[in-house]
Amino acid sequence: MITERLIMRMETEQRCGSNAVQKRYGIVEINSMETGAGKQESAERMDHRFEIVGIRLTTQAEPARRRKWYEGRPVFAAVLLSVIICGCLGCDLIMTKDPAFLDLENYNVSPCGEFLFGTDTMGRDIFSMIWYGGRVSLFIGIAATLLSTSAAIVFGAASGCAPDWADGLMMRMTEILLSVPGLLVVILLQAVLGKANVVSISFVIGITGWMGIAKVVRSEVRQIRNSEYVIASRCMGGGFFHILWKHLTPNFISSIMFMAVMNIRSAIVAESTLSFMGIGLPVDEITWGSMLSLSEQALLTNSWWIILIPGLFLIATLVCITSLGNYLRAGVNRGESNF
Amino acid sequence: MREEHGFGSDMHNNLLYGGRHVCFGALTDGLLRKTAYYGKKLLIFLGSIFLLSIVVFYISRLAPGDPLISYYGERAERMGPEEREWAKDRLGLKDSVSVQYVRWLTNALQGDFGISYKYKTDVMEVIGGRIGNTLLLGGTGFVLIFGLALLLGVLCAWHEGRLADRVICQVGTVTSCIPEFWLSLVLILIFAVNLKWLPSSGAYTAGRAEDPGDRILHLILPMTVVVTGHLWYYAYMIRNRILEELRADYVLLAKAKGMKRRSVMFRHCLRNVLPSYFSIMAISVPHIMGGTYIVETVFSFPGLGTLSYESARYKDYNLLMVLCMLSGAVVILCSLAAQTVNERVDPRMAGAGRTVLR
Repeated sequence: MITERLIMRMETEQRCGSNAVQKRYGIVEINSMETGAGKQESAERMDHRFEIVGIRLTTQAEPARRRKWYEGRPVFAAVLLSVIICGCLGCDLIMTKDPAFLDLENYNVSPCGEFLFGTDTMGRDIFSMIWYGGRVSLFIGIAATLLSTSAAIVFGAASGCAPDWADGLMMRMTEILLSVPGLLVVILLQAVLGKANVVSISFVIGITGWMGIAKVVRSEVRQIRNSEYVIASRCMGGGFFHILWKHLTPNFISSIMFMAVMNIRSAIVAESTLSFMGIGLPVDEITWGSMLSLSEQALLTNSWWIILIPGLFLIATLVCITSLGNYLRAGVNRGESNF
Repeated sequence: MREEHGFGSDMHNNLLYGGRHVCFGALTDGLLRKTAYYGKKLLIFLGSIFLLSIVVFYISRLAPGDPLISYYGERAERMGPEEREWAKDRLGLKDSVSVQYVRWLTNALQGDFGISYKYKTDVMEVIGGRIGNTLLLGGTGFVLIFGLALLLGVLCAWHEGRLADRVICQVGTVTSCIPEFWLSLVLILIFAVNLKWLPSSGAYTAGRAEDPGDRILHLILPMTVVVTGHLWYYAYMIRNRILEELRADYVLLAKAKGMKRRSVMFRHCLRNVLPSYFSIMAISVPHIMGGTYIVETVFSFPGLGTLSYESARYKDYNLLMVLCMLSGAVVILCSLAAQTVNERVDPRMAGAGRTVLR
C-alpha cells in the first residue's frame, strides 16, 4: 500500500515573556489513499497556517500480524529446563538403578535396554546418575549464585552509599579481583579449604563471582541514593539493610537479573570443570562434572556414552539458562536501525 | 574538538603577546603531568605485584600438602621423622612463613628465584623451556579470536534480523555454552580416537621436536578449543556495539547524504567501535590465558598451564610463586594498558571511571 506523506510546515506564533515571536515547525503526516485533488482538499481543510512544503512517498508496512503469546519468548527453553529440573528433583521416581551402586559385572556397557544410557567404567548406571547428579549440579549453581548475588548486592550498595574515597577504594579492589581469571582463584581457594564437598565448592565458586554484579549495583545505587524516599526512610530511622531491602533492591533488581541468571550458568560450568580436573568433588560425589572426570579412561576404551551423554545434558541446561537470561535482558537494540 | 581549539588559541595568544616563557612553562607542565601519570601507573603495578606475592606466598605455604613429595618423590613417604626434619631444613622450610618470605624476597630481588623441587633446576630454566609453547598457543589463539570475532560481529550486524544473523546467533549461543574441557574431550574422541587423524596430546611426537608440520598437527585441536571457547563472547559484543551505533543519528545523516552502506559501516560505525574493542582485547588477555591453561591440562600440552597445575597440586613452591607472579604481572599490565588505551584514544573516558565491559 502506498500512502503519501505530506510534509507540511506549521507556523504557530507563540508569545514568550519578552514579546518575541517564536516560529515552530513540525511535520504532519497524513495517511491517505486519496490522490491528487483529494489530497489538496484535505490539506485545505486543515488550518490555513499549514503550508505544504513537500511530498514524500512512503510504503506502509503491512498491518502487523498479531503476535501469538509464545512469539519472542523462549518457550522451548523454559519447557526443556523445567523437564530437566523436574526430572532431577523427582529423581527417585525416574531412576531405574541405584546411582551409587558399583555393578562390577556390568561395567562399561554401551546403552541397551537394561542400562538406558550405558554404564560407566565403575559399573554405575549413567541414566540414574544423570538425574541424581543433576540435582547436585543445579544445587551448586543456585547456591553459588545466591551467595554471589547477595554478596554483590551488599558490597555494591555499601560502596554506592559510602563517601567518595571509600567508594573509589572499594571499586579499585573490585576491578583488580575482576581481572584475575576466576578459575585460578577458585583452584587456589579450594586448595586452602582442603577436601571439597558440595557446600565448600558452592562457597568457593560463589565467593569468586560477585564482582561484575557489584559494579552494576553500585552505579545504580549511586543514582538513587539521594532520592526523597531513601532520605525519608533514613530520617525515620531506617537502617542500612532496611533501606537496601525495601527501597534500593526493588529498583535495581531488574538490571542485575540477567547477570544473576548468567551466574548460575558459569557456576555450573565452574563446578564441572573443577570436578573434571580432579580438584573439585570426588568421583563418589555424583554430579555432571564428576561423571565427566572418568572420561580419561573412557577415551582409552572409546566408550562415547560416558563422555557425550552427561555433557549433552549439561549443555542443554546451559543453553536453556542462557536463552532465558537473554530474554530477561530487556531493551537491547530494540529501536529501529538507521542502517 | 572544542577543547583542542581552545588550547590552540591559548598558545596563539601566548606567542602573540610575548608569552614565550609561559608557553615553555606549559610544555614542562605537560611533561610533568605525563611523567606523573605514568609514574602513578608504575607505582600501582609494583604495589599490586608486591601484594600478590605476599598473598600467594602465605596461601601456598598454609595450604595442606607435602612439598617433600615433589622433591624426593615416593622416597618422602618412607622417610623417618628425623630424616624429614633434615630434608625440610635443607629446603629451608623449617622457619616461620614470614622468615621464609623475607628470604625469598631478598633472593628474588637479586634475580634468584630458587630451584624447582620437581625438576631440580633453576625455576627460570624450567619456565623458559615451556613458555614458548604457551605463547604460541595463546598468541595465535588470541589473534584468531579477535580477527574472527570482528568478522563475525560485522557480518551479523550487516544482516541484522535476517536469516544469516539469526542462525549465527543461535549457533554462537550454543557454542558459548559448551565447557572447554568437554569440547576438548569430544574432539579427542572424534579426531584422535576414532578417525585417528590428529594426535591427542603433547606438543610434538617424541623425536620430532624440530619438525614444524608435526607441531602444527599437534596445535590444531587445542587451538580449535581455545578459539571456539571465546569467539562468540567477543563477536556478540562487537555485534551489539555496532547495532548500537547503527541506531545513532549520524548514520541517518550519512545515509541521507547518499553514502554507501559499506562506507557507513566501515568508515563511521566500525571506527567508533574500535577504541572500545582495543581495550576489550587488553582486558581479555587474562581470560584467554585462563582458558589456555585448562585446554593445556586436558591435552597435556607442555606449557605454563600444565606447569602451574602441577606446581599448585604438588606444592612446588618456588615454581608456583614465579608462575603466579608472571600471570599476575600480565593481568595487571593488561588492565593498566586497557585503561591507558581508553584514556588516550577516547578522551571522554579520562576520569569518567567508566569501564568497557558491561
